[in-house]
Amino acid sequence: MKKYLSNRKAIIVFCLPAIILFCVFIFVPILQVFYYSFFDWDGVNQATFVGLANYKRLLLKDPVFKTANLNGFKFGVVITVYQLVLATIFAIAVSDKRIRFRKFFRTAYFIPVVLSVTVVCQLWGNVLNADNGLLNTLMSRLGINWSQNWLNDRNTAIYTVAFVNAWQWMGYQFALIVAGIKSIGEDFYEAAEIDGATSLKAHWYITLPLLKDTFNFCLLISVTGGIKAFSEIDIMTGGGPGNATYTLTYIMYNYAFGRQKFGYGLTSSAVLVIECLVIILALNWLFKDRENPLFSRRKGVEIV
Amino acid sequence: MKKKGSGPRQYTGVSATIFTIFLWAYAIFSLYPLLWMILYSFKDNTEIFQTNPFGLPQVWRFENYVNAWNQYDVPLYFKNSVIVGAGTVILTIICAMMFTFAVTRLQWKGRDAARTFISTGQFIPVQAILLPVVQTVAGLHLMDTYWSLILPYAAINLAFSCMVYYGFFKGIPKEMEEAACIDGASIWQTFFLIIMPLVGPATMTIAIYVFLSAWNEFLLANVLVGTTAHLKTLPLGVLFFQGQFTTDWGSMGATMVIASLPAIVVYCLFSEQVEGAMTTSGAVKG
Repeated sequence: MKKYLSNRKAIIVFCLPAIILFCVFIFVPILQVFYYSFFDWDGVNQATFVGLANYKRLLLKDPVFKTANLNGFKFGVVITVYQLVLATIFAIAVSDKRIRFRKFFRTAYFIPVVLSVTVVCQLWGNVLNADNGLLNTLMSRLGINWSQNWLNDRNTAIYTVAFVNAWQWMGYQFALIVAGIKSIGEDFYEAAEIDGATSLKAHWYITLPLLKDTFNFCLLISVTGGIKAFSEIDIMTGGGPGNATYTLTYIMYNYAFGRQKFGYGLTSSAVLVIECLVIILALNWLFKDRENPLFSRRKGVEIV
Repeated sequence: MKKKGSGPRQYTGVSATIFTIFLWAYAIFSLYPLLWMILYSFKDNTEIFQTNPFGLPQVWRFENYVNAWNQYDVPLYFKNSVIVGAGTVILTIICAMMFTFAVTRLQWKGRDAARTFISTGQFIPVQAILLPVVQTVAGLHLMDTYWSLILPYAAINLAFSCMVYYGFFKGIPKEMEEAACIDGASIWQTFFLIIMPLVGPATMTIAIYVFLSAWNEFLLANVLVGTTAHLKTLPLGVLFFQGQFTTDWGSMGATMVIASLPAIVVYCLFSEQVEGAMTTSGAVKG
């Protein structure tokens, strides 16, 4: 039997396609990102080694770098707060058997997730268009003088694109939390009810602490989502007005595809990867099981 | 409120009412842009912008769909999306299934290392590797072919798919291979005739998830085929209308509906699998 299952030829044939595919399109590219970030390279001619020059320029001299990080932060905060708060409320609601039309709510909240980002951006672009968008039209028809230049204002544009992302992906975190709640046993709530806890209290002391891992993952997606933000920005603002909505990915995109400065663009990618890694590690450290009053219930529960 | 006999007690009172209104309000907020898109796909520019932006179309202009289909290359985008979606699903499943079989059922040194290696793909942002992937695709002379999208898409979905398979493969009892071995089946026959049918539900989940993600993908498609007219997929086709001097908004709406409908239908038919797939990635990643 051992020999049957260690058929060398079979192992190679079964593994090779996946390994090759992964190496060629994911693993080698990520190595290249870091490798070429030390070079001055236009993508065609010989690359020249420049040491840390790209990093020095990006981190210390490029004014857009600061804007990009600030935008990543703003974007991250908007989508984290919006998605996590709403997703938690809605997930608790549709998991409660006393609420009616649960199936409908579930579908309604999730559906934007299955749309393409380009469709969502076109839709919201039409809603938020300053001249003839749905929202400003609605305002003026209702006689409210509050028309805004949603996508062309230096100060608000980044929040607007972040909102569009938050709107589309709220349903994803919602589904994650619904699945998390499903895995909590009913008896916890029954016990809480017997103890006389209101359902709000029961959720605060049972649901939220028990969903620690789910929240860790949700935070991971939305915080790194801010740093990685790109599609909405590319489609709706093109980084503008000026460079008000630049993010790290957009710097890479602009330098690599617009100006043929591949080395410098990849430096921005490298910083992006490092920032994401730091956030993953920080969140895992923050959510680690330890003597934390908020999460102390966790220990005894795991067996169930 | 109806009394439901022995059923669970319904909430009553002011705060419950406010909460219910809130749930409905967000449901409308979530669905209305979609509904609005469907409605304006039946309107002309005047109705969309001036006379009737919110309500039902005064005249249902089905010709918007005919125009989109005949004048704006929508059939081409559709065909490309179907080919890329199907190709990605098939390639991802073949690679992921064989690989997971090898690391869970076969016995060899380094299988855990191999599994960990592939699973690191989960943490690599596609945004970061955009440029090297384009270079690689160009270097392999795959530009101007469907492979330029199918291969990177399959690579991106690999880590996730292996993870979903992993749980399933682990759950198959060892006796399966033992019995097959005693009956004289080769390892290949065991894989194709016994194991493959057993992981059917996982395959289904992965197929749906991977298809949806390929169908909607924008980031890579934009840089890989954004300038290659005959390979554009629907998400790029939707953007074609942007920057036209006189946009035919009705036809654009129709194109967006055509692009979204297959994904919505797939979700409505397989909502369990779609949500299941997405939440599996959450459970393990976190």
